[in-house]
Amino acid sequence: MFKYTVKRLLQSVVTVLTVVTIVFLLLRMLPTDYYFTEDQLMKFSEQQRTEQLEAAGLLDPVPEQLFRFYGQLIQGDLGESRRIQNGVPVTDVISKKFGISMQLGLISVAISLVVGVGMGVMQAKHKDRILDYTGTAYTVFVNAVPPLVSYSLILLFGSRILGLPSMYSSRNAGASSILPIVCLSLSSIAWYALWTRRYMIDELNKDYIKLARVKGMSNKEIMVKHVLRNAFVPLAQYLPASLLLTISGSLLAERFFSVPGMGPLMTDAISRYDTNIVQVLVILYAALGIIGVFLGDILMMIIDPRITLIDKEGGAR
Amino acid sequence: MTNKVSKTLALMLATGVVLGGCSNGGSGGGSSAGGDGNEINDLVIPKLATRELETFNILYSQRNEDFENLTNLVDGLLEHDSKGNLVPALATEWGTEDNGVTWTFKLRDGVKWVDMNQNEKADCVAQDFATGLEWVLNYHKNQSSNTSMPIDMIKGAEEYYEYTKSLPEAEAKALTAGEGSKFLEMVGIATPDDHTVVYTCRTAKPYFDTLATYASLYPMSQAMVDELGGADAVAAMNNENMWYNGCYTMTEYIQDNEKIFTKNDKYWDTESQRFDTVTFKMVESNDVAYQLFESGDVDYVDLTESNVKTISGDKNHKFHNYMVDALPLKFSFQFHWNYNKNKEDGKPDVNWNTAIANESFRKSLYYGLDLTNYLKRFNAIDPFKVENNYYTMKGLVSTSDGKDYVKLVHDKLKLGESDGNTPIRLDAAKGNEYKEKAMQELSAQGVTFPVGIDYYISAKSQTALDSANVLKNAIESSLGNDYVQLNIKTFVSSLSKEVATPRVASFIGSGWGADYGDPLNYLAQLIVDDDNAYYATHYENINDVQETPATKELIAQFKEYTALVEKADAITDDLDKRYDAFAEAEAYLIDHCLVLPTNYDMGYCLTKFNIHDKMQAPYGICNDKLKNIRSSADGYTVDDMKAILAE
Repeated sequence: MFKYTVKRLLQSVVTVLTVVTIVFLLLRMLPTDYYFTEDQLMKFSEQQRTEQLEAAGLLDPVPEQLFRFYGQLIQGDLGESRRIQNGVPVTDVISKKFGISMQLGLISVAISLVVGVGMGVMQAKHKDRILDYTGTAYTVFVNAVPPLVSYSLILLFGSRILGLPSMYSSRNAGASSILPIVCLSLSSIAWYALWTRRYMIDELNKDYIKLARVKGMSNKEIMVKHVLRNAFVPLAQYLPASLLLTISGSLLAERFFSVPGMGPLMTDAISRYDTNIVQVLVILYAALGIIGVFLGDILMMIIDPRITLIDKEGGAR
Repeated sequence: MTNKVSKTLALMLATGVVLGGCSNGGSGGGSSAGGDGNEINDLVIPKLATRELETFNILYSQRNEDFENLTNLVDGLLEHDSKGNLVPALATEWGTEDNGVTWTFKLRDGVKWVDMNQNEKADCVAQDFATGLEWVLNYHKNQSSNTSMPIDMIKGAEEYYEYTKSLPEAEAKALTAGEGSKFLEMVGIATPDDHTVVYTCRTAKPYFDTLATYASLYPMSQAMVDELGGADAVAAMNNENMWYNGCYTMTEYIQDNEKIFTKNDKYWDTESQRFDTVTFKMVESNDVAYQLFESGDVDYVDLTESNVKTISGDKNHKFHNYMVDALPLKFSFQFHWNYNKNKEDGKPDVNWNTAIANESFRKSLYYGLDLTNYLKRFNAIDPFKVENNYYTMKGLVSTSDGKDYVKLVHDKLKLGESDGNTPIRLDAAKGNEYKEKAMQELSAQGVTFPVGIDYYISAKSQTALDSANVLKNAIESSLGNDYVQLNIKTFVSSLSKEVATPRVASFIGSGWGADYGDPLNYLAQLIVDDDNAYYATHYENINDVQETPATKELIAQFKEYTALVEKADAITDDLDKRYDAFAEAEAYLIDHCLVLPTNYDMGYCLTKFNIHDKMQAPYGICNDKLKNIRSSADGYTVDDMKAILAE
């Protein structure tokens, strides 16, 4: 286990470095015009633009820029934002946002787990009956209808019928978070319900369940102790990553309800050529993704003792 | 089963209740009415998420999106009234005694710098304007932002900019505008006392005072710089640590969500009418803003085209009587021909370049192109409200007898008056005449027809695509698709970078908004052999056109136009004569169709504050300063606005 963990950690560092390097190089492949706003392009002379690029080190050879970037990373200097919040350290820009995204995201994941898994269990238990069909209809609806349409419907219903705030407000964070959380939960409820139902039905058809029935175990005991536990193993693998990646927020839902979270930050930073923010977000998301997968492996091992984490040389994983 | 379903539902409801319980009970938004029951005390305005603030340093910003916030937080020397006149702000009086070489501004007494909570920090005095200008001109402090106009106009500004550039960064950042400083030694600014600022221009600039409404000449307190800890800290300052001398302080700033401006009780203009608070709510789209207006959460919304059609088409619609003209954007839009176009493979597009160099070809477009349906894209109900026949924005400057400068251009072009049914310059017969002539002349030069016109739009915008299709139809039906053919092409994210720089468009539609109050600000963008002439250099590419028999006349026309602009600019002692001479140059430009004026941008809105009370700043950054604005919690009807405009 220890050896496996160390090996995975080293692999993770290499993966993150590779991702960061590729993104860094891709950003440097963009024409330097992207460094400037449309307005700056209109108002700066050619000489002023060159001076700006020189000052930012963007005219240096790319390898030199890359090693300088590595050096700054080692020193913990993540740089400053150029466009999202001019002159403000990237860490400050991100730190103000990720708490909000994570808060909404975690509540949404919790709701999704409870409701989605519960729904999947009910569907599996009542396969091919009205409850199953209703759950399937919900899943199909959520996946088929574009999110903006379903968000609009929720906004209309929530604000006009229930009188809930239609926009996020820090002065009224509780009530104004309800509609964004509902929207965030929609698709993940469907996801958990779909896969819980599928894995449970798979398990229900296995021989050990038939044996358990023959041995006289109650239906509840079979469903909870055997079926759900085994069916949850493949779902559990994704749970840590889902929890960790709540930090990244949701582009659509956050934009739609004006939630000042992390969701739109990456696309905004890319479209506004705020390279420092892009680079830091890439490192963050890559690290979270890798840690999430690793924790998912461990969680699977905890839930299912048949799974062990050892090197391939040492035996099958 | 029923029991378990009930439990699940109960859990969901409980979650909702818990979340609801987290609420502190505050209001989600919406205005609150004032004491008389109808005026609004707490105004809420939606802003598109794309208009988020990028910096709190007004000296650094060049974006309207920033200025619509910052103009409420920091005041400069002058501002505008609701009729577009230049009026005192921090300066009570100003003038020049030598035709615009030296400009003296007398500052009012008792102007205070305050912090976010309106605690007094210092007096705002003349020295703060020197500190502000030093900041702008210091290469390492302001990264060349807002330098172009001071460098063009103020004596020694360019030299100081170059001087700071030559210094190591730390040394340059430590410079100040204090007594005995290199800045005061080199640059044409003096502060003989706390209430007097004197600028010395490089040459006579009769319009220099209009620059006082732009960010380049705004003040900054050295004490604030010191308190924050130097230049880098100023660049990163925020609403909590910046100093204010404007009509509001920003008491809450949540990026991508909302900003709250609170009335500054220490503001110099104590008589001014201001809201207790103004909240800018960032919204994803105008459709969302419309929903918020319907629910009473915001007090203003710009209507989308579909909103306009829905509301105007239904007399019983609840907003039918409330849909009023929005204020026009301060941009005059043109089609800028590209005289040195490349194909997408980087090779010259000889067919287009030869065609557009031909005056008859251009004039066939000038007279023959019926833009009515295109104008409807900007104003579906009354398209001729947005018809534009000038290069300079109307309302920029007026002659001593109150005549708008563009009226001078109008008269010189001998344009008729609008009949409300057809565009003023449309003359199908004349257009056809020029078309025949162009086809003859160009065929002889080897041009093949139809001439392809490559027009680029944003790939992300359905609105742009719809407008482009309307334009294609307008061009091809007006002039015949045997003559011209519009090819609609797309760029991914940047017009400048993907279209203008590689020169792949046949023309680019663009609007120019003035930075200062003189026609030169517009006309100088099209003069030849000047790197600062933006349109000539970046869109029309006239400086790179090689002289051939086909282009000889075109180049001569641009040179003549440039000479006319320079001649006008040399007139500094008589503004009427100056404007008349500029009008001559502009009429020449348009008459030879070196650029094609198209439209203004003016839509419709629903509003609970009187938009016509806003500062109508044809240049500068004061348009969105929210003071002296009446409001009505019931909203303004069409009749209300008519009455207001008739006042």
